[in-house]
Amino acid sequence: MSFDWWTLGLQTVNVLILLWILSHFLFRPVSEIIEKRQAEATGELSHARAARAEAEAALTEAQARDEAVAARRAEVLSGAQAEAEHAKVQMLDEARREIAKLRTEGQAEAQRRRAEAERALQDEAAELAVDISERLLRRLPETTRTAGFIDGLAQAVAELPGQTREGLGAEGPVPVRAAQALSPEEAGLLKSRLAEVLGREIEIALTTDPSLIAGLELDAPHAVVRNHFRADLDRIRQELLRHD
Amino acid sequence: MENPLTLEPLFHLGPVPITEPVLVTWAILALLALGTWLATRRLSLCPSKLQTVLELFVTTIDAQVRDTMQRDPARFRALIGTIFLFVLVANWSSLVPGIEPPTARLETDAALALIVFAATIWYGIAAQGLKGYLATFAEPSWVMIPLNLVEQITRTFSLIVRLFGNVMSGVFIIAIVLSLAGLLVPIPLMALDLLTGTVQAYIFAVLATVFIGAAVGEQTPSASASSSAKETRP
Amino acid sequence: MTANLVEIVSILAAALAVSFGAIGPALAEGRAVAAAMDAIARQPEAAGTLSRTLFVGLAMIETMAIYTLAIALLLLFANPFV
Repeated sequence: MSFDWWTLGLQTVNVLILLWILSHFLFRPVSEIIEKRQAEATGELSHARAARAEAEAALTEAQARDEAVAARRAEVLSGAQAEAEHAKVQMLDEARREIAKLRTEGQAEAQRRRAEAERALQDEAAELAVDISERLLRRLPETTRTAGFIDGLAQAVAELPGQTREGLGAEGPVPVRAAQALSPEEAGLLKSRLAEVLGREIEIALTTDPSLIAGLELDAPHAVVRNHFRADLDRIRQELLRHD
Repeated sequence: MENPLTLEPLFHLGPVPITEPVLVTWAILALLALGTWLATRRLSLCPSKLQTVLELFVTTIDAQVRDTMQRDPARFRALIGTIFLFVLVANWSSLVPGIEPPTARLETDAALALIVFAATIWYGIAAQGLKGYLATFAEPSWVMIPLNLVEQITRTFSLIVRLFGNVMSGVFIIAIVLSLAGLLVPIPLMALDLLTGTVQAYIFAVLATVFIGAAVGEQTPSASASSSAKETRP
Repeated sequence: MTANLVEIVSILAAALAVSFGAIGPALAEGRAVAAAMDAIARQPEAAGTLSRTLFVGLAMIETMAIYTLAIALLLLFANPFV
């Protein structure tokens, strides 16, 4: 049995040297590179996590923006709708009012037209009535056309104011127009009647005027006495056409 | 037959006798230094195949140390890894014709066990202080103090004899079979020798880890940190 | 003759030490492997841990046989009485 102490010491030193060599060339660099890779991976991971968080934030932001846009659109839409509704109502109101106005105007116009037409109709009717009576009167016998009026004329002269009555016949013969030529009896009757009314004799100048239809007219310079159908008809027409 | 217990110096370097195991160890030293220097010359974040193997080796040692000690393996990595690698390469050096593995000699095994013994004391004092480390000897009660002291010696001795016996018996049996049969017959035995060598290297490293772990103590605040680091490990 | 006798006895002792010293570890290893197989069959997912522990345990048991081998070698090559 022999134990070589030199070999023991040398082997111990050898193993220690090997320990240093391996820790220097193998274990330290390899573990360092592993740690570096881990750090790198951790950094990458945190990087990625940060990027993901950023992306998520951007996403939520975009979503919020989208929502805001949608809300604004809805708002605008509803506003436009309300406006349109309002405008519609307004337009409808206006149209209704316009229509009402037009209708009332039309009604007024129609009424007016109708009144006008009525009036024209009335006028025409009046003219027609006068015409009809005129024609009818022309069919009367000629004597009756004058004789009846002599009394009336005399009465009308009698109703004249005194001064005018005085002036009658003072300046020449009084012009009297008749519807047709008076017969001598009729002229005498007229003369006598006038004399009776005035209390004196007056000259009369007879003229014929068929437009009077029937009757007499006395044209003094200061007075006109009308006693004939024409005057009557004129008065009636006036009455009819007055429309009141 | 050659005596496996005696050692003849090959030559003398001054007063120092140089024996065969020392010479072989030097060769292994040079080989490992050159190999690791070449392998770790260009490390990158995107590893090559060789770098992946190296990293796997280192992370496996880390995992073993962490499992056994429940601690951050950074301080123990180099020692455990060196012991494992040296014992493995020394055991396998029997494959080279004419070379006897250095671990087949008591002196080399004794040197390794001595380093483990010293490391046990060193790490124990560093982790718990001199008083705390000495207090671990009276761990269940003070009656155990002599027994614990004897255990320190016996377990170191058992480390020596286990490695020596395994490797030496392998070499011895191969030598006997070689002298009897010569061709092809020793090959299965050599394969078994390789397996034994690997297992012995692993056991030596594991036992060193266990001893150091027992010396540095079971539970420390760094344990939780190391366990959390273990969880975050990819 | 006495020196021869001591050598003979030493060789016999070495053979006896190795043969008997191998029995115990052999039985123990068989039990350990059987138990490990049983455990692996029950829990295949723990096969890694189990086989690792098995190898360590086998090496420990084997150490006992190695001790006897060391004693035998001492008797053969480093016998203090020869």
